[in-house]
Amino acid sequence: MAGQQSQSIQTLLEAEKEAAKVVQQARQYRVQRLKDARSEAAKEIEEYKKQKEAEFKAFEASHAGTTQAAQVSVDKETDAKQKEIRAQYEASKDKVVKKLLDRVVLVKPELHRNLHKVEA
Amino acid sequence: MASRPLNDDEVLSEMNKMVAFIKQEALEKAREIKVKADEEFAIEKAKLVKQEQQAIDAQYEKKRKGAEVAQKIAQSTLTNKSRLKLLQQREEHIQDLFSTARSSIDTLAKNEGQYVQFLEGVIVQGFLSLLEPDVTVYAREKDVKLVQQAVDSASKQFNEISGRTVKATVEGSLSNDIAGGVKLVSGTERITLDNTLDERLRLLEDRMLPEIRADLFGLNPNRKFYT
Repeated sequence: MAGQQSQSIQTLLEAEKEAAKVVQQARQYRVQRLKDARSEAAKEIEEYKKQKEAEFKAFEASHAGTTQAAQVSVDKETDAKQKEIRAQYEASKDKVVKKLLDRVVLVKPELHRNLHKVEA
Repeated sequence: MASRPLNDDEVLSEMNKMVAFIKQEALEKAREIKVKADEEFAIEKAKLVKQEQQAIDAQYEKKRKGAEVAQKIAQSTLTNKSRLKLLQQREEHIQDLFSTARSSIDTLAKNEGQYVQFLEGVIVQGFLSLLEPDVTVYAREKDVKLVQQAVDSASKQFNEISGRTVKATVEGSLSNDIAGGVKLVSGTERITLDNTLDERLRLLEDRMLPEIRADLFGLNPNRKFYT
Protein backbone atom coordinates (compact mmCIF):
# COMPACT_ATOMS: atom_id res chain seq x y z
CA MET A 1 0.00 0.00 0.00
CA ALA A 2 2.75 2.47 0.97
CA GLY A 3 4.80 1.28 -2.00
CA GLN A 4 1.97 2.12 -4.32
CA GLN A 5 1.64 5.54 -2.80
CA SER A 6 5.25 6.43 -3.12
CA GLN A 7 5.17 5.23 -6.69
CA SER A 8 2.25 7.50 -7.45
CA ILE A 9 4.00 10.40 -5.83
CA GLN A 10 7.05 9.61 -7.88
CA THR A 11 5.02 9.61 -11.05
CA LEU A 12 3.47 12.93 -10.12
CA LEU A 13 6.82 14.45 -9.28
CA GLU A 14 8.21 13.36 -12.61
CA ALA A 15 5.23 14.81 -14.38
CA GLU A 16 5.88 18.13 -12.58
CA LYS A 17 9.50 18.02 -13.59
CA GLU A 18 8.57 17.47 -17.23
CA ALA A 19 6.07 20.30 -17.01
CA ALA A 20 8.70 22.62 -15.58
CA LYS A 21 11.05 21.67 -18.40
CA VAL A 22 8.45 22.53 -21.00
CA VAL A 23 7.82 25.94 -19.43
CA GLN A 24 11.54 26.56 -19.16
CA GLN A 25 11.97 25.83 -22.84
CA ALA A 26 9.25 28.32 -23.61
CA ARG A 27 11.06 30.97 -21.59
CA GLN A 28 14.30 30.30 -23.38
CA TYR A 29 12.44 30.62 -26.65
CA ARG A 30 11.30 34.09 -25.49
CA VAL A 31 14.81 35.17 -24.65
CA GLN A 32 16.02 33.93 -28.00
CA ARG A 33 13.26 35.83 -29.77
CA LEU A 34 14.32 39.08 -28.16
CA LYS A 35 17.88 38.55 -29.31
CA ASP A 36 16.61 37.74 -32.76
CA ALA A 37 14.62 40.92 -32.80
CA ARG A 38 17.74 42.96 -32.28
CA SER A 39 19.82 41.17 -34.89
CA GLU A 40 17.07 41.12 -37.49
CA ALA A 41 16.36 44.79 -36.93
CA ALA A 42 20.03 45.54 -37.42
CA LYS A 43 19.98 43.67 -40.70
CA GLU A 44 16.95 45.55 -41.97
CA ILE A 45 18.47 48.85 -40.92
CA GLU A 46 21.62 48.01 -42.82
CA GLU A 47 19.57 47.26 -45.91
CA TYR A 48 17.72 50.55 -45.60
CA LYS A 49 20.91 52.48 -45.15
CA LYS A 50 22.42 50.93 -48.27
CA GLN A 51 19.36 51.85 -50.24
CA LYS A 52 19.45 55.44 -49.05
CA GLU A 53 23.13 55.69 -49.84
CA ALA A 54 22.50 54.51 -53.37
CA GLU A 55 19.70 57.06 -53.77
CA PHE A 56 21.94 59.85 -52.58
CA LYS A 57 24.76 58.83 -54.87
CA ALA A 58 22.38 58.90 -57.81
CA PHE A 59 21.19 62.36 -56.81
CA GLU A 60 24.77 63.60 -56.55
CA ALA A 61 25.67 62.19 -59.95
CA SER A 62 22.72 63.92 -61.58
CA HIS A 63 23.60 67.22 -59.91
CA ALA A 64 27.19 67.05 -61.11
CA GLY A 65 25.80 66.65 -64.58
CA THR A 66 23.68 69.77 -64.31
CA THR A 67 26.62 71.84 -63.05
CA GLN A 68 28.54 70.99 -66.18
CA ALA A 69 25.59 71.79 -68.40
CA ALA A 70 25.03 75.07 -66.55
CA GLN A 71 28.66 76.08 -67.04
CA VAL A 72 28.45 75.45 -70.74
CA SER A 73 25.22 77.35 -71.18
CA VAL A 74 26.43 80.31 -69.14
CA ASP A 75 29.62 80.46 -71.17
CA LYS A 76 27.65 80.44 -74.40
CA GLU A 77 25.43 83.25 -73.16
CA THR A 78 28.43 85.26 -72.06
CA ASP A 79 30.08 84.89 -75.45
CA ALA A 80 26.95 86.00 -77.23
CA LYS A 81 26.63 89.04 -74.97
CA GLN A 82 30.28 89.90 -75.46
CA LYS A 83 29.82 89.89 -79.20
CA GLU A 84 26.81 92.12 -78.82
CA ILE A 85 28.73 94.57 -76.68
CA ARG A 86 31.56 94.72 -79.14
CA ALA A 87 29.17 95.33 -82.01
CA GLN A 88 27.39 98.11 -80.12
CA TYR A 89 30.70 99.72 -79.30
CA GLU A 90 31.97 99.59 -82.86
CA ALA A 91 28.76 101.09 -84.12
CA SER A 92 28.66 104.09 -81.80
CA LYS A 93 32.24 104.85 -80.86
CA ASP A 94 32.97 107.42 -83.52
CA LYS A 95 29.83 109.29 -82.68
CA VAL A 96 30.74 109.39 -79.01
CA VAL A 97 34.31 110.49 -79.66
CA LYS A 98 32.96 113.33 -81.76
CA LYS A 99 30.55 114.25 -78.99
CA LEU A 100 33.37 114.37 -76.48
CA LEU A 101 35.55 116.50 -78.65
CA ASP A 102 32.72 118.88 -79.42
CA ARG A 103 31.98 119.34 -75.75
CA VAL A 104 35.62 120.01 -74.94
CA VAL A 105 35.48 123.25 -76.87
CA LEU A 106 31.90 124.03 -75.98
CA VAL A 107 31.88 126.82 -73.48
CA LYS A 108 29.09 129.09 -72.19
CA PRO A 109 30.45 131.80 -69.95
CA GLU A 110 27.88 132.89 -67.39
CA LEU A 111 27.98 135.03 -64.30
CA HIS A 112 27.24 133.08 -61.12
CA ARG A 113 23.53 133.12 -60.42
CA ASN A 114 23.91 134.70 -57.02
CA LEU A 115 25.72 137.74 -58.42
CA HIS A 116 24.44 140.85 -60.14
CA LYS A 117 26.06 142.96 -62.74
CA VAL A 118 27.86 145.88 -61.14
CA GLU A 119 26.46 149.02 -62.67
CA ALA A 120 29.09 151.59 -63.34
CA MET B 1 -17.48 10.16 -4.75
CA ALA B 2 -15.75 7.03 -3.69
CA SER B 3 -16.18 6.56 -0.04
CA ARG B 4 -14.40 3.26 -0.17
CA PRO B 5 -10.67 3.02 -0.99
CA LEU B 6 -9.98 2.91 -4.76
CA ASN B 7 -8.97 -0.29 -6.42
CA ASP B 8 -5.88 -0.57 -8.62
CA ASP B 9 -7.50 0.32 -11.91
CA GLU B 10 -9.12 3.38 -10.53
CA VAL B 11 -5.89 4.53 -8.98
CA LEU B 12 -4.19 4.14 -12.29
CA SER B 13 -6.79 6.09 -14.18
CA GLU B 14 -6.76 8.84 -11.58
CA MET B 15 -2.99 9.01 -11.85
CA ASN B 16 -3.12 9.24 -15.59
CA LYS B 17 -5.70 11.96 -15.37
CA MET B 18 -3.56 13.97 -13.03
CA VAL B 19 -0.47 13.53 -15.15
CA ALA B 20 -2.36 14.56 -18.22
CA PHE B 21 -3.67 17.59 -16.41
CA ILE B 22 -0.22 18.67 -15.36
CA LYS B 23 1.05 18.20 -18.88
CA GLN B 24 -1.84 20.14 -20.33
CA GLU B 25 -1.31 23.05 -17.98
CA ALA B 26 2.36 23.17 -18.85
CA LEU B 27 1.65 23.13 -22.56
CA GLU B 28 -0.85 25.93 -22.26
CA LYS B 29 1.50 28.03 -20.23
CA ALA B 30 4.29 27.39 -22.68
CA ARG B 31 2.03 28.39 -25.58
CA GLU B 32 1.10 31.65 -23.84
CA ILE B 33 4.73 32.45 -23.28
CA LYS B 34 5.58 31.70 -26.90
CA VAL B 35 2.76 33.83 -28.26
CA LYS B 36 3.74 36.74 -26.05
CA ALA B 37 7.34 36.30 -27.09
CA ASP B 38 6.45 36.54 -30.78
CA GLU B 39 4.43 39.66 -30.18
CA GLU B 40 7.25 41.29 -28.27
CA PHE B 41 9.64 40.27 -31.00
CA ALA B 42 7.61 42.02 -33.65
CA ILE B 43 7.11 45.17 -31.57
CA GLU B 44 10.73 45.40 -30.57
CA LYS B 45 11.97 44.88 -34.08
CA ALA B 46 9.61 47.44 -35.54
CA LYS B 47 10.58 49.99 -32.91
CA LEU B 48 14.30 49.54 -33.49
CA VAL B 49 13.96 49.68 -37.24
CA LYS B 50 11.78 52.77 -37.20
CA GLN B 51 14.12 54.58 -34.82
CA GLU B 52 17.16 53.94 -36.95
CA GLN B 53 15.32 54.70 -40.16
CA GLN B 54 14.37 58.11 -38.86
CA ALA B 55 17.93 58.83 -37.89
CA ILE B 56 19.20 57.74 -41.29
CA ASP B 57 16.56 59.78 -43.10
CA ALA B 58 17.50 62.91 -41.17
CA GLN B 59 21.15 62.34 -41.96
CA TYR B 60 20.56 61.99 -45.67
CA GLU B 61 18.20 64.90 -45.77
CA LYS B 62 20.96 67.06 -44.33
CA LYS B 63 23.42 65.74 -46.91
CA ARG B 64 20.98 66.41 -49.69
CA LYS B 65 20.33 69.96 -48.52
CA GLY B 66 24.06 70.57 -48.34
CA ALA B 67 24.47 69.36 -51.88
CA GLU B 68 21.64 71.58 -53.09
CA VAL B 69 23.11 74.64 -51.40
CA ALA B 70 26.49 73.89 -52.90
CA GLN B 71 24.91 73.68 -56.32
CA LYS B 72 23.14 77.01 -55.84
CA ILE B 73 26.39 78.58 -54.79
CA ALA B 74 28.13 77.22 -57.85
CA GLN B 75 25.41 78.55 -60.13
CA SER B 76 25.54 81.95 -58.53
CA THR B 77 29.31 82.08 -58.86
CA LEU B 78 29.01 81.31 -62.55
CA THR B 79 26.52 84.09 -63.11
CA ASN B 80 28.66 86.52 -61.18
CA LYS B 81 31.79 85.67 -63.13
CA SER B 82 29.92 86.14 -66.36
CA ARG B 83 28.65 89.56 -65.33
CA LEU B 84 32.08 90.67 -64.25
CA LYS B 85 33.50 89.60 -67.58
CA LEU B 86 30.97 91.70 -69.42
CA LEU B 87 31.55 94.71 -67.23
CA GLN B 88 35.25 94.42 -67.73
CA GLN B 89 34.80 94.35 -71.46
CA ARG B 90 32.72 97.51 -71.34
CA GLU B 91 35.34 99.23 -69.25
CA GLU B 92 38.02 98.30 -71.76
CA HIS B 93 35.94 99.72 -74.58
CA ILE B 94 35.41 102.96 -72.74
CA GLN B 95 39.11 103.30 -71.97
CA ASP B 96 39.85 102.67 -75.61
CA LEU B 97 37.41 105.39 -76.55
CA PHE B 98 39.01 107.85 -74.15
CA SER B 99 42.49 107.19 -75.44
CA THR B 100 41.23 107.76 -78.99
CA ALA B 101 39.74 111.04 -77.84
CA ARG B 102 42.93 112.06 -76.10
CA SER B 103 45.00 111.53 -79.17
CA SER B 104 42.50 113.50 -81.27
CA ILE B 105 42.53 116.60 -79.12
CA ASP B 106 45.52 118.00 -80.92
CA THR B 107 43.40 118.60 -83.99
CA LEU B 108 41.17 120.99 -82.08
CA ALA B 109 43.86 123.61 -81.90
CA LYS B 110 44.58 123.47 -85.63
CA ASN B 111 41.52 125.38 -86.82
CA GLU B 112 42.59 128.91 -85.86
CA GLY B 113 39.26 130.65 -86.07
CA GLN B 114 37.58 128.03 -83.95
CA TYR B 115 40.50 127.90 -81.56
CA VAL B 116 40.49 131.61 -80.92
CA GLN B 117 36.78 131.53 -80.29
CA PHE B 118 37.30 128.70 -77.88
CA LEU B 119 40.08 130.57 -76.11
CA GLU B 120 37.94 133.65 -75.77
CA GLY B 121 35.04 131.72 -74.33
CA VAL B 122 37.24 129.81 -71.96
CA ILE B 123 39.03 132.89 -70.75
CA VAL B 124 35.78 134.75 -70.11
CA GLN B 125 34.53 131.74 -68.24
CA GLY B 126 37.73 131.79 -66.22
CA PHE B 127 37.38 135.46 -65.40
CA LEU B 128 33.79 134.96 -64.33
CA SER B 129 34.77 132.09 -62.06
CA LEU B 130 37.76 133.85 -60.51
CA LEU B 131 36.13 137.27 -60.12
CA GLU B 132 39.58 138.68 -59.41
CA PRO B 133 40.86 142.08 -60.46
CA ASP B 134 44.28 140.69 -61.38
CA VAL B 135 44.73 137.57 -63.46
CA THR B 136 47.69 135.91 -65.14
CA VAL B 137 46.86 133.84 -68.21
CA TYR B 138 49.31 131.09 -69.01
CA ALA B 139 49.39 129.83 -72.58
CA ARG B 140 51.56 127.63 -74.78
CA GLU B 141 54.51 129.42 -76.30
CA LYS B 142 53.11 129.16 -79.76
CA ASP B 143 49.67 130.40 -78.66
CA VAL B 144 50.81 133.67 -77.07
CA LYS B 145 49.68 135.91 -79.90
CA LEU B 146 46.32 134.23 -80.23
CA VAL B 147 45.81 134.24 -76.51
CA GLN B 148 46.64 137.94 -76.31
CA GLN B 149 43.93 138.57 -78.89
CA ALA B 150 41.52 136.42 -77.01
CA VAL B 151 42.32 138.07 -73.68
CA ASP B 152 41.62 141.54 -75.02
CA SER B 153 38.24 140.53 -76.35
CA ALA B 154 37.52 138.44 -73.30
CA SER B 155 38.18 141.29 -70.90
CA LYS B 156 35.63 143.38 -72.79
CA GLN B 157 33.08 140.59 -72.67
CA PHE B 158 33.74 140.09 -68.98
CA ASN B 159 33.05 143.73 -68.32
CA GLU B 160 29.83 143.55 -70.31
CA ILE B 161 28.58 140.52 -68.47
CA SER B 162 29.61 141.34 -64.92
CA GLY B 163 30.33 145.02 -64.84
CA ARG B 164 33.72 144.33 -63.32
CA THR B 165 37.11 145.01 -64.83
CA VAL B 166 40.08 142.69 -64.95
CA LYS B 167 43.75 143.29 -65.59
CA ALA B 168 45.07 140.24 -67.43
CA THR B 169 48.69 139.42 -68.22
CA VAL B 170 49.64 136.72 -70.71
CA GLU B 171 52.56 134.39 -70.07
CA GLY B 172 53.72 131.84 -72.60
CA SER B 173 55.13 129.37 -70.11
CA LEU B 174 53.00 126.29 -70.78
CA SER B 175 54.87 123.55 -72.64
CA ASN B 176 54.18 123.16 -76.35
CA ASP B 177 53.48 119.46 -75.93
CA ILE B 178 50.03 119.89 -74.49
CA ALA B 179 47.07 120.08 -76.83
CA GLY B 180 46.08 123.65 -76.12
CA GLY B 181 43.98 125.90 -73.89
CA VAL B 182 45.01 128.20 -71.04
CA LYS B 183 45.53 128.26 -67.31
CA LEU B 184 44.39 131.22 -65.30
CA VAL B 185 45.90 132.19 -61.99
CA SER B 186 44.60 134.92 -59.74
CA GLY B 187 46.77 137.90 -58.95
CA THR B 188 47.43 136.70 -55.45
CA GLU B 189 48.54 133.35 -56.90
CA ARG B 190 46.09 131.57 -54.64
CA ILE B 191 43.56 130.36 -57.20
CA THR B 192 44.39 128.30 -60.28
CA LEU B 193 41.90 127.51 -62.99
CA ASP B 194 42.97 124.87 -65.48
CA ASN B 195 41.20 125.37 -68.80
CA THR B 196 43.58 123.39 -70.97
CA LEU B 197 42.10 121.03 -73.51
CA ASP B 198 43.53 118.00 -71.70
CA GLU B 199 42.03 118.97 -68.40
CA ARG B 200 38.66 119.71 -69.94
CA LEU B 201 38.65 116.35 -71.66
CA ARG B 202 39.52 114.64 -68.42
CA LEU B 203 36.64 116.32 -66.64
CA LEU B 204 34.30 115.40 -69.44
CA GLU B 205 35.42 111.77 -69.37
CA ASP B 206 34.30 111.61 -65.81
CA ARG B 207 31.13 113.68 -65.99
CA MET B 208 29.78 112.22 -69.19
CA LEU B 209 30.01 108.58 -68.20
CA PRO B 210 26.24 108.03 -67.82
CA GLU B 211 25.62 109.63 -71.18
CA ILE B 212 28.43 107.66 -72.79
CA ARG B 213 27.05 104.46 -71.37
CA ALA B 214 23.62 105.17 -72.80
CA ASP B 215 25.05 106.10 -76.19
CA LEU B 216 27.35 103.13 -76.49
CA PHE B 217 25.44 100.34 -74.84
CA GLY B 218 21.89 101.53 -74.45
CA LEU B 219 20.02 102.21 -71.24
CA ASN B 220 20.14 99.83 -68.33
CA PRO B 221 17.07 97.58 -68.54
CA ASN B 222 17.09 97.04 -64.79
CA ARG B 223 17.01 100.68 -63.87
CA LYS B 224 13.66 102.13 -62.92
CA PHE B 225 14.26 105.73 -61.98
CA TYR B 226 15.88 108.57 -63.79
CA THR B 227 15.75 111.96 -62.15
